[in-house]
Amino acid sequence: MSREWIQKSLLICIVMTITILSGVQFYRHRHFQLPIVAGPGVTKVTMLSDYCQSLKGTPADTRVFFMEGAEEGGKTLIIANTHSNEPAAILAALIFIENAMVDRGSLIVIPQFNNSGSRNTKPGDGYVLFFDIPTEWGSKRFRMGNRNAAPLDQWPDPDVYVHYPDKKLFSFLDARNTNRTWPGRENGLLMEKVTFAAMELMRTEGVDVAIDIHGAETMFPVTNCIVAPKKAMRIATITSMIVNAREGFENHVEPSPKSFRGLSHREIGDFSETMPFLLEAPLPFLDQPTGPKTEALLLDGKDPFLLSLSKQKKLFVPYDSTGWSMEKRVGQHCSVILELMNQFSRRNRERSIIVSQVPKYAEIIERGVGFYYKDPDKADRERIYYN
Amino acid sequence: MYLQIGLILLIMVLAYGLAKWKNLSVELCMASSAVAGGLAGAFIKAPPLIQLARHLVEGTFTYLDVMLVFVTATIFIKIITESGGVDYVVRGIITAFFNMRIVALLMLMIVLLIPGALTGAGSVSILTVGAPCAMALGYLGISKKRVAAILFIIAGLSAAAPPVNIWAMIISAGTAIPYVGFEFPLGIPVLILGTFTVLFLGWKRENNMELAEVLSRMPTIPEKMNAWRVALPFMTFFGLIAISRIWPFALPVMGLPLQFSIAALVALLVSPKRINFLVLSRDTVKLLLPLLATMAIVGSLQQIMTVTGVRGLISYTVISMPLIVLYISLIFIIPISEGILTYGGAAIIGIPLVWFLDSIGLHATVAIAGLSLIWPLGDGLPPTALIGRLTVIMSDYKGSYTSFLKATWVPWVLITITGILMILFSAKLSFLVEWGM
Amino acid sequence: MPFITILYYGISIFIAAMLIWNFVKEKHDTQKMALCLIVLIPFLLRIFRIR
Repeated sequence: MSREWIQKSLLICIVMTITILSGVQFYRHRHFQLPIVAGPGVTKVTMLSDYCQSLKGTPADTRVFFMEGAEEGGKTLIIANTHSNEPAAILAALIFIENAMVDRGSLIVIPQFNNSGSRNTKPGDGYVLFFDIPTEWGSKRFRMGNRNAAPLDQWPDPDVYVHYPDKKLFSFLDARNTNRTWPGRENGLLMEKVTFAAMELMRTEGVDVAIDIHGAETMFPVTNCIVAPKKAMRIATITSMIVNAREGFENHVEPSPKSFRGLSHREIGDFSETMPFLLEAPLPFLDQPTGPKTEALLLDGKDPFLLSLSKQKKLFVPYDSTGWSMEKRVGQHCSVILELMNQFSRRNRERSIIVSQVPKYAEIIERGVGFYYKDPDKADRERIYYN
Repeated sequence: MYLQIGLILLIMVLAYGLAKWKNLSVELCMASSAVAGGLAGAFIKAPPLIQLARHLVEGTFTYLDVMLVFVTATIFIKIITESGGVDYVVRGIITAFFNMRIVALLMLMIVLLIPGALTGAGSVSILTVGAPCAMALGYLGISKKRVAAILFIIAGLSAAAPPVNIWAMIISAGTAIPYVGFEFPLGIPVLILGTFTVLFLGWKRENNMELAEVLSRMPTIPEKMNAWRVALPFMTFFGLIAISRIWPFALPVMGLPLQFSIAALVALLVSPKRINFLVLSRDTVKLLLPLLATMAIVGSLQQIMTVTGVRGLISYTVISMPLIVLYISLIFIIPISEGILTYGGAAIIGIPLVWFLDSIGLHATVAIAGLSLIWPLGDGLPPTALIGRLTVIMSDYKGSYTSFLKATWVPWVLITITGILMILFSAKLSFLVEWGM
Repeated sequence: MPFITILYYGISIFIAAMLIWNFVKEKHDTQKMALCLIVLIPFLLRIFRIR
């Protein structure tokens, strides 16, 4: 073998080793299946594509869990993992799916709204691939996804994303962002089909309240809040006051800007009868000025740079050495969702929704998030759904 | 933690220096720095050693689509050049405008601004119309160094120009500020600064050739070449872009690489000369290799800097600066961040910076516009020097890279001052946003 | 898979082939050989639909 080919062989070996090593990890992440145990309240499980035929058979299709009460009433839709790198959303959604009992009305939960995004990683941002939530029976593993859908499922990106129907321009990345593609198109981009299907679900099922769960940086002004359009503002404001007074956490209200199109809190309200709310809880992991991007930072939200910036009054949320734990974030989401449903029900008696068995902020902080997850090994196989 | 991350940063810098000392190329120096940073980070499990390869490889995907644009666009323009189209266009411009110098300069500026303004990438301006414009400017008696300087600055301004400004879009997406109202805050300064640049750098005629002499010096054009054969590929490309804007919902998304590929196919079909497409493509990829490698490796470097906390430390340092120091340092920080991270700088520094500026009462949209005037300047700075390197290739400038960069200093300073003033007086300039609403 | 996406896989395969051709053709410059392979990595993983 010539010197040239010895060099070439050596280089090929090094590069192939790196490629295979990483390729195996990417493959495992993309194909990891999360077991979701349907709790006693779940009455049926369907696919989102049932509301949009063009979504059927695509990697963006996702499960929809229905919890229907014995009595007729209103309907609430909970959307989690619109952004799959904001994991408190799916953790809160699973607490509802695995525990909630609905006495009146219906609760519909989509735990992985951007299913493709949950199987994507974010180049350049150094995310972990998985994170584990400790439970009484071991730990439950979740995929850490990306804000946008995977290019393997929607490729190419446009040079600039033109929003439907307003023709507002967005960054090319937003073509894969399911919080910019509302209200969607039946035959548009794959992510537009996802949001269109959700719009169809809300219109067909007559959903009264839609709650889209998110997380946001501590340096972002629109964090630790409820975002709502004018028609949902009253309920959002009272909910904010009540959780503050009764449960002791701050969660202010932000108005949904009319000119900012494509977002759930804007388009759902404008294109259906449903009242939309978008919940934001602080997520230090997403902040730019943080230390190493580790699983610990994702779960406990403790970071010395943010602590220092907090002392310089450069954060938009209170922040101390205890960080901003996952329990606090998930607890806030659960309490705010319960209170939003409660406030809606008080104003619309004939469309009221009564849900029980869902823990609130204080309980989740005390017992931990994992306490509320069922062991898939001990659950009835027919009640386990993989997503 | 500060010490720990500082140490990792030091190891990365040392690895870069060591690789440079061993005469490795800029791209491999950056790769060495990324690997060394990752290994140092593995001591604190950030990242765990088993994840290191994944982080390095994942980073190479950051600019994969940009790499596709570079390759397809360059193949497209190489076909036009090979077929004699570029020479044909240049001869046409020179014949028509040789005695109307200012008009010729302004026309060339507009031609250079359009592709970048439509796509948000100054590199597209250089790759599509850079070569013919460079030749035309050369025949107008402007030295190669000044031609390269004009191309670089105007291409940078084209990337900042509306309707598509990627830095503004990234910051808008990250800060939840609507990407609306940027037309005037970006368009007006771009046109003023562009006009100043072409007139300042192109005013002086450095040779006194007559039109006939210039034409006699120009390369001969293939017999069958005509305006249609040159125009058709460009019309195809810009037509496809125009259609995607005018009827965005009637057609599927094609993306720039496919639009360039279709235009390249048209160019190949209408070429009066037989072109060996495979050899041309192979040579183009070889020509672009350093640039493609830079894009892949910068992504890895970014990823390692993030996972180890180095990126956070840099971002933290910028945000923690006293206000006056911050404003002054933006003059350096913004272009340098672009030079190291390309668009990544907008996310790492731009997003927290805009939140902060917004919170002290500045007008976010105008401030973003001001920042995004300064960012493209960084595309001339190493290690990436994205537009700078393409400019040197396309303008065929043979002098040192530093000498080319030095020729840009006056417009560079003016653009920087304009950008900073726009940030400082953003609240007073908010009427520019209202005009566009 | 949409037709346009298939075309993108085609473009990626073409670029990967050009990179491999340049790698094979390079006789002396080890650094260029390494760069060819580094740039090839994301193209390979995309073509094989891993990432």
